Amino acid sequence: MALERLKKPWPDHRAERLLGAVSLSVGVVIIAMIVFVTIRAWPIFQHNGLSWLFDAHPPASLEGEVSRMSAASSSPTAGDYTLSAWPVIYGTLLTTGMAVVLGLVLALLSSIFIVELAPARVTRVVIPVVRLLASVPSVIYGLIGILVLVPYVGNHLVTEQQRKSIQGTAQLTGESLLVTVVILTVMITPIMIALICEALSSVPSSWREGAIALGLNPLRAVRAVTLKAVRPAIVAAAVLATARALGEAVMISMVSGGKFFSPRLGDGVVFFYEPLRTLASTIVDYREGLSSPPLGATIYAVAFLLLFAAFVLSVSGYLVKLPLRKYQTRG
Amino acid sequence: MNAIRRRLSVALAVTGVLGVAAPAAANATALVTISGATSSYPLVSLLAAKYVKLHPHKIRFKITQGGTTVGLNDVKAGHVTIADVAQEPTSADAGLDFYPIAKYAICVVTNKSNPVSNLTAAQITSIFTGKTKEWSSALSGATATGPINVFTRTSVAGVLTSFKSLLLEGKSVVSSATEEATEGLMRQAVESAPTGIGFLSNYQANKGGLNVASVGGVACNQTTAASGQYPGVSVFFEVTKGPATGGAAAFINWIDKSAPAKKIIESQWVPVPAS
Amino acid sequence: MSTTVATASSGRGRRSSPMSWRWGDRLVLVLAWLAGILLCVLAAAIVLYMGYRGIQYLRPDSIFSRPQLSTDQSGTGGFLDPLLGTLLLTAIGVALALPLGVACAVWMTEYGRPGWLARIVESSIEIVAGTPDIVIAIFGLAVFQVSLLAPFSFTSEGGGVYGRSFIAAGAMMSLLALPPLYAASRDGLLAVPGHMREAAFALGKTRITTIRRVLVPNVRSNIATGVTLGISRIIGSTAIVLILLGGFLRFEPQGSAPAIDLLRGTGSSLTSYIYYNSPAGEGAAPQKAYAAAFVLLIFVLALNLIVERIGRAHASSTGLTTTAGVV
Repeated sequence: MALERLKKPWPDHRAERLLGAVSLSVGVVIIAMIVFVTIRAWPIFQHNGLSWLFDAHPPASLEGEVSRMSAASSSPTAGDYTLSAWPVIYGTLLTTGMAVVLGLVLALLSSIFIVELAPARVTRVVIPVVRLLASVPSVIYGLIGILVLVPYVGNHLVTEQQRKSIQGTAQLTGESLLVTVVILTVMITPIMIALICEALSSVPSSWREGAIALGLNPLRAVRAVTLKAVRPAIVAAAVLATARALGEAVMISMVSGGKFFSPRLGDGVVFFYEPLRTLASTIVDYREGLSSPPLGATIYAVAFLLLFAAFVLSVSGYLVKLPLRKYQTRG
Repeated sequence: MNAIRRRLSVALAVTGVLGVAAPAAANATALVTISGATSSYPLVSLLAAKYVKLHPHKIRFKITQGGTTVGLNDVKAGHVTIADVAQEPTSADAGLDFYPIAKYAICVVTNKSNPVSNLTAAQITSIFTGKTKEWSSALSGATATGPINVFTRTSVAGVLTSFKSLLLEGKSVVSSATEEATEGLMRQAVESAPTGIGFLSNYQANKGGLNVASVGGVACNQTTAASGQYPGVSVFFEVTKGPATGGAAAFINWIDKSAPAKKIIESQWVPVPAS
Repeated sequence: MSTTVATASSGRGRRSSPMSWRWGDRLVLVLAWLAGILLCVLAAAIVLYMGYRGIQYLRPDSIFSRPQLSTDQSGTGGFLDPLLGTLLLTAIGVALALPLGVACAVWMTEYGRPGWLARIVESSIEIVAGTPDIVIAIFGLAVFQVSLLAPFSFTSEGGGVYGRSFIAAGAMMSLLALPPLYAASRDGLLAVPGHMREAAFALGKTRITTIRRVLVPNVRSNIATGVTLGISRIIGSTAIVLILLGGFLRFEPQGSAPAIDLLRGTGSSLTSYIYYNSPAGEGAAPQKAYAAAFVLLIFVLALNLIVERIGRAHASSTGLTTTAGVV
């Protein structure tokens, strides 16, 4: 008899409640994620406040700190929880910043090329290729990086002189900032190109034609009219690309050298050959150490930072797009 | 009709639940999880595979590798049954039982293009602590030039701890050295760096593709490790929290006493005398 | 898209010659051409290089033989287990994400009350979309190591819940696939013209019946697009596999119930296999890594083609275009 009630068409309110419950459970799972990560990360904040993020003079060897953490007993003291995270944050800012800026410039230029300048035949081929590139798994980019680019940089670009100049502080093995930024840019640019192209081609052509009719040359028309009109899409593309770059863990772990080192601008060209670590790659590198309380708490604290950064990113993307609402061409 | 359907579905559900639960209840296969040293991972994996082959359905193994210290932490916290450890017990390991299973030698390795033939103990210490910074002909057989690329292991490695106490007079490796997380990674790093130098267990070092330097005139291989001539010989341990029980005890006993286990150990490593 | 290009090319005869432009514009023109050529060259290089290496190293028996444990590199077999592992993870992930995603999208567009709940759900899905998959992975580990969830993986003799299994990994994969599915279904539902709903209501159908019988079948291709996008996110994810399936190459079932033991056990996927065979992992067998990477790329290519096909079919059949984009 219960089966029969279930088989009759459901009244709306029951369906609504069920669907609402399902949606609520999804929300609950995600909130649980934030809560879990925060709880596991709490000891780090409890023992260090916020100072562990911006320590201006990190100790000579962060690896030493990590080894102390991993060797700490199961009832660690407060002193076991200190770690300076600045080199990792700096590495993340460097790689993400450089990759997004480079990628944005490349994406804008390529999109203008695809939409305005390329013959139709080329466009028909390029757009599916761009979409394919955007969906290539990151481990494949990492594979090409570590098997092709890293040996090239290590064996052909880095000179003995450069190695000597930095000996004692770091070793230049080819796993470097340069390779990381190059591959990261190649990874995030197709996403931006796809989004910007789509937006560019949905701008009513009458807007462009009006500009051309007024005497602007086609490229200028694009700059003056279309690009301004797709600013929300450009912001969305930049935000998406930054989120992808922030979260890229495995590829960076493969090619960045895995050292808690802050590449120093003062080193000139060697700056690009220096190894580094990012927030996400640290989690991958130390993923086995989650059982030791101080090290585990540090990993979760790094994860918390990543979550926080992703959150800040989507909020700022939303805020940047707010004044641009009036330029939206799509509903 | 509906009553029949209802009873049928209830019967099906009950059989389904019983079908899942019964074998699970009757399942007496013990599960032994092992975590720890990357240097003993090949050995322990082979031993576990052989054990399962000889005694099917008794024990199931799950072996991961994260480094000796990770294994020790895991077993202290009760996350795993056995820890693979590649260093001697210290005072911090109270409450844990160490069962030696094999001995291994720590070899100093360089790139194949740089055939360093022999290094004295003093030279090794000076290179790895950063005092000697460049390749020169003073290091017999070295053909590389330029700065020495030192590779070491991350702090959780038992091989590193043993290396420091046996061949580095207790000193630390220079802080600018590149840290590799596992033996496999260390091997690849030295294989691809013409000016590189590192240290590996004899099993990995003698796989080919690397140049193995002698230490103080003694070559680094299984024979010299067994005879006691080679200075850098350490022990692989299986470590449990308190005395080993159940499946873990059976496995460790089997490694200690059985002939097939001895055969596997003797293929690349040095057996320890049975206790 | 094609209309814009057609307009441009039809006006090409009367286009102003770049010779008459200002320097700034000419520079941008050159740079845009360079960027475009660079893009094409890069894409060709990646695809051709992976293809070349893949054909060089892929042997038919690699696909059908299982990874072996051996001290010698040549005895280590192929990647059948990782391949099946990828398929299994995809199946679990999609099976979990599909009902959840569609249900959420339906609820948001058709009901959406109370307002605060709608905002929470919308924001949570956006948060998941922006979360790095490594964070999702360690969250999964933290959750599945809770003793309540021990049946989903297994408990070792020391008493610790292992927390790593296909179920755990699949559940986290579903979080990856959820946002694209949700977005695609929601866009599809929003694009259904209002008169379809009104016609159904005029005939006396309840909301839920309208959804089940009219709306959801209508957005089938959107859902298919969402599923395909979700699948490509799942098969590309390495971090979750590394953390939630451990470093095991073969399937290692757990327990003895027939199908469930596979789900509760560990194994590997193509991505973790590639990682472990690359110089970043253990195997130092780049040939195997290339071969597996080639197979993975073929999958991705096939998925992309499917998305295109669905997009085109839908556009031609209903006259509505879907946002078959990347998000």
